[in-house]
Amino acid sequence: MLAEAGAADSAGWKPFAPRAPHFPRKAKRCIFLFMAGGASQLDTFDYKPALRRFAGQRLPRTPGLSGEIDGFLSDPHRTIPSPFQFRQYGQSGRWMTSLLPKLAAHADDLAFIHGIKVDNNNHGPATMHVNTGSQFPGSPSVGSWISYGLGTPNQNLPGYVVLQDPRGAPVNGAAVWSAGYLPAAFQGTLFRSKGVPVIDLAPPKGVSREQQRQEFDLLHAINSEHLRNRREEAELEARISAYELAFRMQTEAPGVVDLSGESEATRRLYGLDNPVTEGFGRQCLLARRLVENGVRHVLCIHGVEIGRYSWDDHGNIGERMPAHLAEVDTPVAGLLSDLKSRGLLEETLVVWTSEMGRTPFINDLASEKPGRDHNQWGLTVWMAGGDVKGGATAGETDEFGIKARGEPIPIRDVHATILNLLGLSDDRLTYLHAGRYRKLTDIGGRVLRGVV
Amino acid sequence: MMASVQWPEMYLVSAILSVLAIGQSVLAAEAEVRRHWSFVQPTRPTPPAVRNAAQIRNPVDAFILQKLEEKKLTLSAAADKRTLVRRLYFDLLGLPPQPDEVQQFVDDNSPRAYEVLVERLLASPRYGERWGRHWLDLARYADTNGYEGDAEFYHAWRYRDWVVDAFNADKPYDEFLIDQLAGDEYKHVGGAGGLPAPDPDKVVALTFLRLAPFTEPRGEESRDILLSEMVSTVSSVYLGLTVGCAKCHDHKYDPIPSKDFYRLKAFFASVFIAPPRAGDSQQLGGPQPAEFYRPGEKQRIEVKAAAFRRAAESVDAEFDQFSKPLVERLAAVWKREKPKDAKAPVVRDVERIFTAENNNAITFDKGDPTFSVEERERFLAFREQQRRLKNNLLRLEPSAMSVRNADDPPYGPSVPQTHVLLRGDPDRPGEVALAGFPSSLTGNSDAATLPLDRYKRHPTRGRRMTLAKWIASPENPLTARVMVNRIWQHHFGRGLVETTSDFGRNGSKPTHPDLLDWLATEFIETKWSVKAMHRLILGSSTYRQATWATETGLAADPGNHLLSRFPRQRLEGEVIRDSILSVSGRLNIEMGGPAVFPPLPEGLDREQRVQSINTWETSPEPDSLRRSIYVYQRRSLTLPMLEAFDAPVLNASCERRRTTVTALQPLAMYDSEFVNGESRRFAERVREQAGEDPDAQIRLAFRIAFGRGPNESERELGLSFLRAAAKPQDRLVGLCRVLLNSNEFLYVD
Repeated sequence: MLAEAGAADSAGWKPFAPRAPHFPRKAKRCIFLFMAGGASQLDTFDYKPALRRFAGQRLPRTPGLSGEIDGFLSDPHRTIPSPFQFRQYGQSGRWMTSLLPKLAAHADDLAFIHGIKVDNNNHGPATMHVNTGSQFPGSPSVGSWISYGLGTPNQNLPGYVVLQDPRGAPVNGAAVWSAGYLPAAFQGTLFRSKGVPVIDLAPPKGVSREQQRQEFDLLHAINSEHLRNRREEAELEARISAYELAFRMQTEAPGVVDLSGESEATRRLYGLDNPVTEGFGRQCLLARRLVENGVRHVLCIHGVEIGRYSWDDHGNIGERMPAHLAEVDTPVAGLLSDLKSRGLLEETLVVWTSEMGRTPFINDLASEKPGRDHNQWGLTVWMAGGDVKGGATAGETDEFGIKARGEPIPIRDVHATILNLLGLSDDRLTYLHAGRYRKLTDIGGRVLRGVV
Repeated sequence: MMASVQWPEMYLVSAILSVLAIGQSVLAAEAEVRRHWSFVQPTRPTPPAVRNAAQIRNPVDAFILQKLEEKKLTLSAAADKRTLVRRLYFDLLGLPPQPDEVQQFVDDNSPRAYEVLVERLLASPRYGERWGRHWLDLARYADTNGYEGDAEFYHAWRYRDWVVDAFNADKPYDEFLIDQLAGDEYKHVGGAGGLPAPDPDKVVALTFLRLAPFTEPRGEESRDILLSEMVSTVSSVYLGLTVGCAKCHDHKYDPIPSKDFYRLKAFFASVFIAPPRAGDSQQLGGPQPAEFYRPGEKQRIEVKAAAFRRAAESVDAEFDQFSKPLVERLAAVWKREKPKDAKAPVVRDVERIFTAENNNAITFDKGDPTFSVEERERFLAFREQQRRLKNNLLRLEPSAMSVRNADDPPYGPSVPQTHVLLRGDPDRPGEVALAGFPSSLTGNSDAATLPLDRYKRHPTRGRRMTLAKWIASPENPLTARVMVNRIWQHHFGRGLVETTSDFGRNGSKPTHPDLLDWLATEFIETKWSVKAMHRLILGSSTYRQATWATETGLAADPGNHLLSRFPRQRLEGEVIRDSILSVSGRLNIEMGGPAVFPPLPEGLDREQRVQSINTWETSPEPDSLRRSIYVYQRRSLTLPMLEAFDAPVLNASCERRRTTVTALQPLAMYDSEFVNGESRRFAERVREQAGEDPDAQIRLAFRIAFGRGPNESERELGLSFLRAAAKPQDRLVGLCRVLLNSNEFLYVD
């Protein structure tokens, strides 16, 4: 996990040594905000007033659709316009739900991508697709590719950290931050948001630090004796230094997750003073502390696999969306403000996404509190920081927010854009696996110039 | 010992040059001259004459020496006996030898001591567990489906046991592979009448085809995904051909390679998976009946099942008592709220209130005054207990996570046609593809002959057998080469072809092509006996040499590709865990049966829980002390200790483990509850046998951990460490912990 320690697979190659990007870009690191469950684009960022005309009625068929949504549309259904107020914000006049008032203040920093299509209409595969570029498990996640490409500056912390919702895991569990076919060193390290951040980071019970030091000294001596006739084996030496780094990490890592040094104002900024926003606020504040301390990529997950803490609002969109949005508005806006005031936003790419969008209608005609179904054609993503063109928009959905006008934007284009904003070319960031050079975008993505 | 990483600049030069694309050139007139090496059937090379013939123990050495001598190198001297016995134990059993086992071999001066030891180890049941684990990596074995819910494959474990048995029994490899692809199609169908039932063990073997991750199905699309996965896995595991990419992305190139993919897929067109049973919330599909028991197992299982049933009955009774007043209370509430049309509630209604937050479509009315928080907790604890007992009973059913053929006409439709799918899109079928072998190997695109029974009553039958027999044929140029190369890889840490599952053009070239071909033909001549290959390879001077590097060796062959010394290897995560248990004297060697759940670091289960469907049913000792091959393989959660040492999540076939060095490893080895618990047991074991004398303790601890006593300086180090404390005995646990953490414990010479 730490650079000098890692000989990775081949002697002399250090998985975490910082590496130069393929071309210069402002952003050096990434915070990836993932809303688990399929956040409704129609109630947040993709304003579709035309839906009001069809409220409670059927929508006309959308050409070019296939799969499940096409089936939904041919079934009886009724249109559910967004029950929320939308307003225009910022110089850019960006339409957004009024339920994200604090984030809206950053409207001119955000660039939006609408009408993104993922390959599957199920949470499991769609979550894999957005996080790893393939709907099938086994491919490296975005953070793995980024830390493979750029290494990591701080040798005492993992290069890629995962902060999951304190209420539970997302769909697919650890596969979401897996290194796939890349070396295991590039998998995300799950940090707990309280107490000891990494599993097994605390020394054994009843062993003082003094005693641990003496045991490490003995270990070092025994290992050095063993190494004497085996100098050619770089791994053996790497393992010796790994113990030293682990020893240091035991003291340094808990410090990074210790928020007690943060001012009252900062804590309020992230919403740590309010039980509704405290959970995600803590994750966002930790994310800032981690990137500030040289972590290359932080995956922040909001929402758990299933239930009311998931964005999977099949029912009662009218009450559940305000609940989700209230949980994230202050923390995300706080993160952007804080990064900005510390001069870190210039160097930090912030990405907001979910695994899919949602439908503008419901197939349950009777429900008193309707919700929305899955829509693999309708995902909205926004980005901020680095060379992102604040206030810009790429892609556009049809008047009902179902599908892109013209060709849908495949998720691989979003991935290519993320890599590009970090100075990496998706064509050059490859890894030989199972007979071919694999990459995040699989068959290659287009950089969405509209937002860069 | 280390897998090579291509870094950093790997441009997309050859991109998706599927091996199947080579099929075109074969069809072309000048094909023969350009035929890829692995597609030509091996002929048996004569072992070459070499200068240093004195080093030759068997033909393997002649081939190795030939290449070494080209670089003016030769084999190293034989390793000493302590090193050899340790090497053999880890290689064949995945466990360290006990001190007396080391001594026995060291003291045995008979000329055949080494061969006798090899035979003894090959006959140990631990052998099948060690080598079966290698196969499970290839078979992407797991106990859960991955994806949403990560629900359990309740009967997958029978396949794990079948694999262990097959290695222990030295089942001929051709039969081993046919069993896994078409074990249900062996029996001859002569006359009219019904189909003969397949043997239960063959039904279990077919589990191989069903181990892919599985997500909530979506009709045709999901079936296409399933069958396509079968094609790519079968092809990479048995043939070393990576055809998966030809499914959709070769549309840029030529239609032929894509068509070959679908011709292979047509062999699986009649595969039938039983539909989901009641309660199968993730719709994984049902099992096949399989009364497969290993010796004595049926009785053991019946005893266990009876105990689970009794426990379930008593929990159910307790639960009824507990839940009855809750239901009555809810009835009263309902009556009060809707006096006119109140229904009578049942337990399920109470449960719905308690679990409402798990439902996406309704909103749970928070702070329901009808029930207390304690009642909710107790209710859910009961449910969890019931669920676990139900799981335990399900796992013991005489069933296999297997497939069969679809019903034949008139009961079912005939075999569906397989279409080339444009861009791999199931909504865009192209031309029909008839079952056929890869044209790159056969030189033609003819349809395979599918044998039918004489009355043609069973058209769904015989497709997979046709493919399996073709793969298992001695004439197939790939099958034997691929398997002997896998065996070689596990002995030396690297295959003669480094890319063991890719013998195509993008794969690496063999370092010793003649040796590979000689081994392949030898494998077929010894009737595909895997153990015969072990005897041969282990008997060579090449295997028995020392690991010491020399200046000349490093200069002429820095990567040791030519094997002028034995490659030092790091143990896999599973072997490390098993070895720690062996050293602490606590390893439970019970074999087989449903998986076990060793304790997890605190909080991990809750953090990684998926939909509460799959909770970690932490096993009590001694179940938790069993070998790692029996640990529950949950795709969404790997034991942190195994994960730190590169145990992969098997979502796809894994042909080679990596060996990384990370700081998470010291954390797992030094800080974890597991290692510390076992360090204490290790210290107790030392004290029991060596008494209170620090010197004797150090000697014994070294012999247990490393198979050798300490040298003088190590002895001094140990003594001063023990004596630095007021009570030296407090330090013994620390010493044991240090030995388990040492490089010598993890790296085998």
